[in-house]
Amino acid sequence: MAYLETHGLGRDFPGVTALDGVDLKIELGRTHILAGENGAGKSTLVKILTGTDQASRGRVLVDGRDPAEDPTLYKNIAYVPQELNLFPQMSVAENLFMPFSRTGHGGALVDRKALVEEARTYLDRFGIEADPRALVAHISVSDQQLLQIARACTNAEMKVLILDEPTSSLTRVEVERVFKVIRALLDRDHAIVFISHKMEEVFEIGDDYTVLRNGEKVDSGRIADITEADLIRAMSGRDLSFEEHFRPETTVGEAIMEVRGLTGARFEDISFDLRKGEILGFAGLVGAGRSEVMQTIFGFQKAKAGSVTVAGKPWALNDTSRSVAGGMLYLSEERKHHGIFPLLSLRENIGISLLSLTTGPLGISDRKERGAVQEIIDAYGIRTAGMGKRIAELSGGNQQKAIIGRAMATRPRVLIFDEPTKGIDIRTKTEIYRIMKRLAEEGVGVILVSSELNELKKCASRIITMHNGRITGDFAATDTNNETLVGAIFGTEAKADEN
Amino acid sequence: MKTEPLSILVRNPLAGVFVALTVIFALSALLSPYFLTPYNLSVIARGLAFVGLITIAQSMLMVLGELDLSLGVIGGLCGVISGILMVKLGIEPYSAMLLAVLLGACLGLFNGLLVTTLRLHSLVLTIGTAGIFGGANLVLTRGVAITGIPKEVQFLGRGDVLGVPVPFLIMLAALAVATFVMVKTPFGRYMYAIGNNQAGARMLGIRVDRIRLLVFVAAGAIAGLAGVLMVARLGTAQPSIGDTWVLAPIAASVIGGVATTGGVGSPIGAIFGAGIIAVIENIIVLFGVSPYWQGIVSGAIVVLAISFDAISRRYLRRENG
Repeated sequence: MAYLETHGLGRDFPGVTALDGVDLKIELGRTHILAGENGAGKSTLVKILTGTDQASRGRVLVDGRDPAEDPTLYKNIAYVPQELNLFPQMSVAENLFMPFSRTGHGGALVDRKALVEEARTYLDRFGIEADPRALVAHISVSDQQLLQIARACTNAEMKVLILDEPTSSLTRVEVERVFKVIRALLDRDHAIVFISHKMEEVFEIGDDYTVLRNGEKVDSGRIADITEADLIRAMSGRDLSFEEHFRPETTVGEAIMEVRGLTGARFEDISFDLRKGEILGFAGLVGAGRSEVMQTIFGFQKAKAGSVTVAGKPWALNDTSRSVAGGMLYLSEERKHHGIFPLLSLRENIGISLLSLTTGPLGISDRKERGAVQEIIDAYGIRTAGMGKRIAELSGGNQQKAIIGRAMATRPRVLIFDEPTKGIDIRTKTEIYRIMKRLAEEGVGVILVSSELNELKKCASRIITMHNGRITGDFAATDTNNETLVGAIFGTEAKADEN
Repeated sequence: MKTEPLSILVRNPLAGVFVALTVIFALSALLSPYFLTPYNLSVIARGLAFVGLITIAQSMLMVLGELDLSLGVIGGLCGVISGILMVKLGIEPYSAMLLAVLLGACLGLFNGLLVTTLRLHSLVLTIGTAGIFGGANLVLTRGVAITGIPKEVQFLGRGDVLGVPVPFLIMLAALAVATFVMVKTPFGRYMYAIGNNQAGARMLGIRVDRIRLLVFVAAGAIAGLAGVLMVARLGTAQPSIGDTWVLAPIAASVIGGVATTGGVGSPIGAIFGAGIIAVIENIIVLFGVSPYWQGIVSGAIVVLAISFDAISRRYLRRENG
């Protein structure tokens, strides 16, 4: 018998069955991949496993016992959500042991010394480089990610650790740190449930897998017995040519945008041309300054020096409304913080960019707005129960499609995608790639910032690499091997060039 | 399509507070024979007019995610200034009132400029500016009311049209304008967008600071209007006008579905909330509750109302997953 099992698990919401008849077996000492597209039911399943939601049918067994009868069993299951969920203005040590009563640091007064001392042992074990007294806001993203995992592991009764896309904002090197921690936990006979959309990671770290689709289990088994293509097919329910390329097939024309000597808070002397008919990729490590460059061109961050011209005319920096009016849009990687208006409906979220079309002398026309929004919902295949639904209730992929659809409606001349497929399932990724390709072929200037080399090689006509706030290379995507690119990303190649 | 018994409440957030207002209204009518008399109703309506104007202004700011604790004091200062202008300086009364409303807009501009250019927290800033505006009021009046407000403008505070108090009609007109702007115009959409996600609104090219500034200005003008109308109602410019306009409009807005964190709710809901408070305060008086107890009773009912609201929301959310 496996340590954690579910039998015929189902969960109904009014009008929707989120889970139906799901059987799951999680064994100790192994990594179990929970695969499925956005909205397949993974989150609902995790909520039931961790006791934050109750099943409508079926049951969960932890070590052969039902946690519905003995809630203390939920203590054996720890969960690390995808979004960072730390207290940024408190120290690493405090974050690690919060709430103090749970970790034996309770009592009327907190013994900071003891806290810091015990924190050191955890930080060593998890390879976290930060000082235990440092504020979480000041440590690196990968340290924060590891800290979240370490915090879950301060629970001495933990047997199963559920990691929801722990690597989505990490670079390849940083992912290795997470994997090291996972392997150490497996050696201590813990079970890991690993949720990720990144196929190479799934095949590297996974032992077993379960695929969910539309709330049902469609496949399960050993990772060693399945190919990447089969796994993708099981998740999406259809064949996806994942080797397909999405580079624009048009000839590259004149420059749409010229950036010269742009300097900002975290980057220096950035110069490049964006040409008509190409997708221009930007590669680099997290923190290389790619997003900062794009946000500065867009006017969201202040430029210190340098100039930008669009279609031969000087471009006003430092003002997002002029950028938008001039036909430039930036789609942020921070969907939650920069993209959606969470309390507003899907209709209002899309409609906000269509107001010039839908507003008449009597104000915003209900009928026109419904029509225009419905067109975007259909054109971009946004799956929703209705346009009146709050956008926060939609899956990440559908939110992203709404953001892209809304951006398209303004007929931009330059469109900057910053990690557009972060946390998004493979099928939706493909749809986004197709949209970028079509736009570039229609003559829109498209920039793609991505931390996934595969994605850049699939989509970009040209790849510019950045390291530490500077451009370190400019490559045609077709005749560049991965080593050259990775070298430029880490700044080694470029130094040789400069000297 | 399956209809859940409470689904109407989910789809329309106004329905909940409207039902609550209706129930409280009906209960009051049952409990007291005096409640439905035309005189009593007009007392409620007239009282609601002034707090209602401040509630409209405050709810607009709250949708943006801001709070202005100086609105009541702005009302008071504009009231006494209008009194000084017409009585002491002999300016034509309607012009004096208009100037006072413009002063309200300027005070709102002052708040708004400080909030947007220095990135100050509006709640904390307006505690400070409320002290300044309130102090200016006392310096100008030395705490003494200005009497002798011309009869011709008193109609705006005391008069009735078809039995409905004039200030109540003015409040309804302001509500209609505010609602139209917020629901039907791009400007209003941008207000909600800013309240939901300021950075996201900037990313879409919305002129965030300009809109915030304009709403502060509009709120100041509305507060000034409330103060001026109060002077017209009392027939004297009392320095104490606006003292009770600080917390009730915030409570009313929350009861009416406007979140203190911004992004949701509407002035109509807020006015329903203000209506609930007004009816409760009225029925307490009709029951002859000792004045010493009135604060406790009305406070407790507000606590009950928002608790009930929060619990029902949680219940509905669970039903809807």
